[in-house]
Amino acid sequence: MNILFIHDAFPAQFGRLGQELATKHGWKCQFLVQSLSSCPTPTEEMLRAVELYQMPMTAEHKTGEGIPWPQIYGQFLEQCRSVFDVLKAKPEIRPDLVVAHGGRGAPTLFLRDVLDGPIINYCEYYFATSHRDISYRIDLPPAEPAPFFPRCINAPTLAILADCDAGYSATAWQRSSFPSRFHSKIEVHFDGIETELYRPGPAPRKIGDRSIPEGTKVVTFVSRGLESIRGFDLFMKVADRIARTRSDVLFVVVGGEEIHYGWDKLHTGAPSFKQWVLGRGDYDLSRFIFVGRILPEQLADIFRISDLHIYLTAPFVLSWSMLNAMSSGCVVLGSDVPPVREVIRPGENGLVGPLFDVEALTESALRVLDDPATYAPLGRAARRTIEESYSLEVCFSPIKDFFERVASRGR
Amino acid sequence: MAQDPLNVLWIEPSFPGRLGAVADWLTRRRGYRSRFYCHNLEPRENWPPSVGRGLDVQVFGVGGVARETAVSWARALERSLCYAYGCWEVLEKNRPRPIDLIVGRSAGLGSSLFAPVYDRAAPIAQFFDYFYHGRAHDLADEAGPETPSAYYHWRRSTAAIELLDLEQAAMAWTPTEWQRSLYPAEYRDEMAVLHDGIDTRRFARSAWHASGRGRRSIAGRPIHESTRVITFVARSVDRLRGFDRFLDVADAVLLARRETIAVVIGERTVRRGLDIAFHNKDYIAHLLGRRPSLDPDRLWILGAKPPAVVAEALAASDLHLAPSRPYPVARSTLEAMSAGCVVIASDQAPHREVIEHGRTGLLMDPADTSAMVDRALAILDNPSEYRPIGEAAAARILERYSQDVCLPRLAERFNDLALSGRRT
Repeated sequence: MNILFIHDAFPAQFGRLGQELATKHGWKCQFLVQSLSSCPTPTEEMLRAVELYQMPMTAEHKTGEGIPWPQIYGQFLEQCRSVFDVLKAKPEIRPDLVVAHGGRGAPTLFLRDVLDGPIINYCEYYFATSHRDISYRIDLPPAEPAPFFPRCINAPTLAILADCDAGYSATAWQRSSFPSRFHSKIEVHFDGIETELYRPGPAPRKIGDRSIPEGTKVVTFVSRGLESIRGFDLFMKVADRIARTRSDVLFVVVGGEEIHYGWDKLHTGAPSFKQWVLGRGDYDLSRFIFVGRILPEQLADIFRISDLHIYLTAPFVLSWSMLNAMSSGCVVLGSDVPPVREVIRPGENGLVGPLFDVEALTESALRVLDDPATYAPLGRAARRTIEESYSLEVCFSPIKDFFERVASRGR
Repeated sequence: MAQDPLNVLWIEPSFPGRLGAVADWLTRRRGYRSRFYCHNLEPRENWPPSVGRGLDVQVFGVGGVARETAVSWARALERSLCYAYGCWEVLEKNRPRPIDLIVGRSAGLGSSLFAPVYDRAAPIAQFFDYFYHGRAHDLADEAGPETPSAYYHWRRSTAAIELLDLEQAAMAWTPTEWQRSLYPAEYRDEMAVLHDGIDTRRFARSAWHASGRGRRSIAGRPIHESTRVITFVARSVDRLRGFDRFLDVADAVLLARRETIAVVIGERTVRRGLDIAFHNKDYIAHLLGRRPSLDPDRLWILGAKPPAVVAEALAASDLHLAPSRPYPVARSTLEAMSAGCVVIASDQAPHREVIEHGRTGLLMDPADTSAMVDRALAILDNPSEYRPIGEAAAARILERYSQDVCLPRLAERFNDLALSGRRT
């Protein structure tokens, strides 16, 4: 099989998958990407196993800045054109199957004019006009585009859905976000967690230059960007209450200050949501370590010393970090929203609490910190959940089988 | 089922556009209160009678990229959003209440997309015209290797606004089965096929068609009883509607029969962006520049005319030609049938749906000019022999495509939609 993966970055979702397919099954795996990711970085083995092709970076990726919301679709089309141009110029890329990812629609819209094989779209998410994702935090000040953007953000996704031969989502809840008329076209296949990297065990009790004494409890919060959709502000309120109750707790916060979703910059007017949140509370920042974005190996070490991981997302795409924490054997306290409930069975392999109920979340967190022995079985069960249902080893075969089925069907 | 009057907000880029006639009929015949929001106003002579009498027209402005004269294909949706936003701004300012139903037609400009921001509760019925395919239908079937990639990129990308509208609509509605068949399979089952109807009073079977006798004139020019008239009518006289094919046939017919005139009605400037070769150009001038008409005095090129003049021309026509490329059947074809014309149309799916070959019209291979010329001469030489075809065409329109047949059905759907509860 000759397969072409298209993604903004490498390795991202597809790198490990391509490596497995190439090394263990002899597939020819070609990748068309904009950039090599620095987090996680591709391994030597990975780079040897696959063929990488680079396409021009979009303006959004070049600058790292968002683009005005009415131009989202135009930006997507420019990316589609880049993909088309590369494939037209490179006759050596003629796959049996294309598997493409795009946070706001995979850029495959023009491939029919240059390729014959079937196209699989990684169906990450379909935005709602209310009660989910970027429209969920109505408790925050309104932003001007809020009523409009959700009504047009799905344009690339719809265009690709109508065009592709098949799709897959990482979780059942993500699949359910799409219009039901497309569900028959979308299968559910989780990407796979690296359970060897994210595993329980001893780790240095040191973060950067700061040593963490044995008796100190560690509470972790991880998000690619510290933003409202992932409940960073709510976490800070919970953390503040915990800190005022217990003097032996240190909070380790992982994530950058950039905003990936929603209106945080617009409705706060602050340079970052993190700064806005910190400026509105009387936090004892000596109790917090903000580590920014870090490498997976460093994150795995932090999870190993975590006494409690707090994950307060709005109903939105489930973060890998929550599953990584579970894989590491952490006790996870998540927000009680459907994507979290798909993985966490409260009291069995984790805990959930109402997203906005800071008091209840704080009480749950304190119970875990007060009596770790009672809650330790939840961490062990979390690890089992990942091993049994979400590990790379478990997820690989069904994805490979899915690719083969679609490829054999043809167009 | 009783059909109650409804408060309807109509949104379309132009008025009357396509929905204006529907709004007019429902206002006059069902007591609807209609507010029509648009960006462009067509000449007043095209306005329906209920304007100011239950049908109020409100113009909205557009900003941003929508004000630019030429916009890259990649910015088409951005332009649409400017229309949608402009409409929302005026809704928010005027705050029309109550609204039982929103009826939209984006025509590629998506002007109803943000209407729910103003009123989340009113259900939306959306009219759908055409779903572009990358390399099929309309002019794409004949696109040559010189066609730039950007043309296909545009065709594949322009559906996005239709898809957003489809997702937002509580009722998706398209006039013909062929048009529905163009849409992605995931949407087809939910799309209603309901034609918006022909004004069969205006385009009634004429005395000329009924008896072969009677006074005829077109745009004030009298036509002698012995003169034979062939007609071509389109919104804009372009390649899509097969004006090149018409001209080939007309030239041969005018050469063969001295007492024949060819009448062409429609705007000279090609307005459809899908015709990249002639967009914003005068296609008639292009064709006649390359090959002047054999007898310009008998080729009447009238330009765009109001419906009354179109009705006159069709009432006087002995043969109407509709040699269109594959595209939704032209209203003028149905209007010609309604008027009792004998119609020769290109033999393709959209026409097969409305014309039964040999009974309500004639379907012919548009590439076979000589066969069309032969048949045209036969019709002009023996009008009485072909009169039953025109008669059956008029009956078919009365039975299936008249406003009085189509719009009560539509009103029923609107009624159900408004009653079925308000949509969030």
